[in-house]
Amino acid sequence: MIIESASRGPGRRHAIKGLQRSQPASGLAPGSRAPDLAVTGTDPVPVSLADLAARGGALLVFVSEECPTSAMTLRNLGPLCRAWDEAGLTATAIFEDPLDVAIRVARGTGWTGRVVSQDPPYETSRAYRLLTVPTSVLVGRNGDVAGTVVGWDHSSLAALIGQAGALTGQAALTLPPPVEPLLKPGCSSKAALDPRVAAAISRPAAEDEMEEMFERGWTDGLPVVPPTRQRVDAMLAGADGSVSLGLVPPSMGEATLERVAACAVLAGCRPAYFPVVVAAAKAILDPAFNLHGQAVTTQPAGQLLVVNGPVRRAIGLNSGMGALGPGSRANLTIGRAARLLVTLLGGARPGALDRATLGHMGKVGFCIAEDEETSPWQPLHVERGFGPHQSVVTVIGSDAPLSISDHRSRTPEDLAYILAWAAASTWSTNWWPLSEPSVFVICPEHAEMFRAAGWTKQQLREFMYEAVHKPAGQLRRGETTPVVSAADPDADISKWASPDSIVLLVAGGEAGRYSAVLGPCTGMGAHIVSREVESG
Amino acid sequence: VSSDYAGRDYVSPFDERVRPAEPLAPRPATIAGRSVALLDISKNRGAEFLDRIESQLTQAGAVTSRWTKEIFSKPAAPALIDDIAAGAHLVVEALAD
Repeated sequence: MIIESASRGPGRRHAIKGLQRSQPASGLAPGSRAPDLAVTGTDPVPVSLADLAARGGALLVFVSEECPTSAMTLRNLGPLCRAWDEAGLTATAIFEDPLDVAIRVARGTGWTGRVVSQDPPYETSRAYRLLTVPTSVLVGRNGDVAGTVVGWDHSSLAALIGQAGALTGQAALTLPPPVEPLLKPGCSSKAALDPRVAAAISRPAAEDEMEEMFERGWTDGLPVVPPTRQRVDAMLAGADGSVSLGLVPPSMGEATLERVAACAVLAGCRPAYFPVVVAAAKAILDPAFNLHGQAVTTQPAGQLLVVNGPVRRAIGLNSGMGALGPGSRANLTIGRAARLLVTLLGGARPGALDRATLGHMGKVGFCIAEDEETSPWQPLHVERGFGPHQSVVTVIGSDAPLSISDHRSRTPEDLAYILAWAAASTWSTNWWPLSEPSVFVICPEHAEMFRAAGWTKQQLREFMYEAVHKPAGQLRRGETTPVVSAADPDADISKWASPDSIVLLVAGGEAGRYSAVLGPCTGMGAHIVSREVESG
Repeated sequence: VSSDYAGRDYVSPFDERVRPAEPLAPRPATIAGRSVALLDISKNRGAEFLDRIESQLTQAGAVTSRWTKEIFSKPAAPALIDDIAAGAHLVVEALAD
């Protein structure tokens, strides 16, 4: 760490104990003319060093996001900037990062001074001959460098701030005693990198196709496949892209088939998946589904897609091991395409029109396929009036899955009891009854127990409905329903308004007794909607 | 459709049409004698808020009317909007609990 200070005489250099004197000098000598700044700030007016230093001097703190010593310096100096500003000393953090990164880091570290950003090739850092960030440079009112401190060096910074006090005529300018180490070396300034390396790591986003997708906002936060004309045409497979599927709430962008195809490409779908994406889009845009309410709610709800019928096997949807998790391109990208439709065409961006307090990972996309071959029961689409050989997408507003382990039950009654009571706290502990659908994904080993006992799906539903009930008096704590509030304390309240509020699916690996329940999206008047997958 | 730096054509997933903003209705200088529609969106305790507002509006000389949306999570029915627009100068909507 090397300090140069005008108070110690021009050109004198003090090597701090433990560092080699042969280390190349970093920064400009005191008394040098301070170069002007080629930086960008939040203010449209260009940042001028003369303006910054005009009142009583300027403290320039060169930093970068990935440097822990920079963060430490911003943390320690940041809260003092306002008092310095009142005394006439303007403190400015000069980031070797994009402005949005600079603002985020400054906010996160509590920096209260000005924030500016440099673009590659970091001309300002080069002009100040930086080798290291952080480097703190004090510039006097006359525009000359008064002193430089490299890295985090508490005593040298305290001297520099004291020197600033002398410049401003405010002796009160001080640096409080440290709460972190006295000395901490910095990191390499990007200006000190080989120019080719600096160019490679700082390539503007517009020159990187994947980064450009983020710049355009065509993403849910994960990298996407760029929707080139060629890819979108392949997705459309000759279909008329101008056909409209309707308006996507909440911002009512029109879902032309071409835009739906663009979402499918972005999501990573193969063209073979597109008919399923289109059926899902039609289902979620049905007014009965009330996407409008689901898209903007503070609830975590996402849109669960359930696929039934021959298309599952045709496109490789996974209904087996890890059916609710990662691993299958078809499941992950079809669910993601449907969500991108809501996010991009519907404008339901988290923090903007999507007001979910927490959300859940299923809102990135959630598509499951039912294991109809293992199920002892009619599959969901047949229950809903479709033929077994039709391919169908069913959409349900759903919360995140809650796993239910049961490796010990030896009767269907015990197992049904365990499954049902696992859902007792879904939505909210005392919010009984739920009239919106709760989705149970029954694993094959659990399904086999019901099959062996000859239980029908309706029998299981009714048993579960009957199993979970409490006296109203036990449900009157915290959030509860008007039904509970109005009921006699001894009145029996069920968790569900009727057995029909329980949706049963079969999926999962052949080994392991883990089923799951997905709580509902409530208060939306949202119905389950199914649409047939039409072959291209 | 737009192009990137390399001249690739991309198909935008956005509806790029620009819809002009609806201008704000003129603000009245006074609410005395004005008809004010109070719209309850059917969310918990919204009516209590409107009760208080109604009392103050009435004291200020406004003539109030009460309306209710079918459900808070859906846009108001066009017929309801038409009915309110036909009879009211001003609207106060109670958003949430």
